[in-house]
Amino acid sequence: MKDIFTGNLVRLSAFDPEEMSKAFPRWFQNSEYARLLDSAARPMRSSKAALKWMEKEAEEISIENYYFSIRTLAEDKLIGEIGLDVVNWSGRDAFVGLGIGETDYWSKGYGTDVMNVLLRYAFTEINLKRVTLTVFEYNPRAIRSYEKAGFRHEGRLRRLLNREGRRWDELFMGILRQEWLDLNVPMAAEAAVGT
Amino acid sequence: MKDLFRGELIRFTFEEPETRAKAEVRWQRDTEFVRLADGDPSHLSSEKKIKEWFDQRSERGPKSERVSFSVRTLEEDKFIGDLGLWIDLIHSEAWVGLGIGEREFWSKGYGTDMMKLCMQYVFTELGVERLSLGLFEYNPRALRSYEKCGFRLEGRSRKEMLREGQRYDSLWMGILREEWLAMQNGDQK
Repeated sequence: MKDIFTGNLVRLSAFDPEEMSKAFPRWFQNSEYARLLDSAARPMRSSKAALKWMEKEAEEISIENYYFSIRTLAEDKLIGEIGLDVVNWSGRDAFVGLGIGETDYWSKGYGTDVMNVLLRYAFTEINLKRVTLTVFEYNPRAIRSYEKAGFRHEGRLRRLLNREGRRWDELFMGILRQEWLDLNVPMAAEAAVGT
Repeated sequence: MKDLFRGELIRFTFEEPETRAKAEVRWQRDTEFVRLADGDPSHLSSEKKIKEWFDQRSERGPKSERVSFSVRTLEEDKFIGDLGLWIDLIHSEAWVGLGIGEREFWSKGYGTDMMKLCMQYVFTELGVERLSLGLFEYNPRALRSYEKCGFRLEGRSRKEMLREGQRYDSLWMGILREEWLAMQNGDQK
């Protein structure tokens, strides 16, 4: 069997509160990163406050929530975080959120690669039927990356966001299990993965 | 839309811990009921202890992997039993267990009606692909009821149970979503 946590450029690794609580405050000093990731006006947190919050979150292990950190294969460097939250078991749907905090690794295919790994995990390990995400209109780089991973545009909340004196849409994108299979699994292997 | 919580003879309800404890403290004294329902040894708990246990469970709130219902008759609105579901969310399959503590309601179709209502909930609301259950060889009444509902006998653990010096098999039954759907279409014709 394939290693389900490893892609071509990155791998998913365990979410370690010690390490992440140091990385988060640094990443969020960059207001561009904060704005691309979240529509809330996110206050900066100290490492200590972040650690307290993450340890509490990490304690509640649940079948609904899957959080990973992202490391490069070349240098084993921590560059971001990705999480999957199942919102509806009868529809087997989950929301994915992804952030590359290390800006040196933007626009080089790392985000697309980690999304491909996460989708494989979602569809072959958790056996989901669809994965959903939201992205802001002012983040065309992310939109392009998600399109490459196979997400389709499904809707938009018009003029939801107020950034720098103008309003922007929030976009909904989604990918169905069958669409992912068609893109990623050659016909012969399809039976082995199931539907 | 069909009422998910109403069958032909019974309905699914949520009962307060007080009500459940009051009933359970009587049902636990019925050795035959306990042996049909469970492989664990019979034991007796105080009403207070049972209520505490139900309190804890209801405080924890709803969980995707665990659903339980109390059961009342439609005619007398009498609380007669319980039904529980354990759901494997990753593989989309579920296990069911049910018991009728009020023995004057045995052998009258109430259990079959509970199971039919449960199957409708499981396959149309939870959307799982199969439903499984276990029972004991010395419970032919339940076996017959589950067969009527469409369950197939899939296997047995031979001589697993020891009851009064004699060994009995555990039985495993299951029904697939497509089998249940085919039965529903048959009903409509």
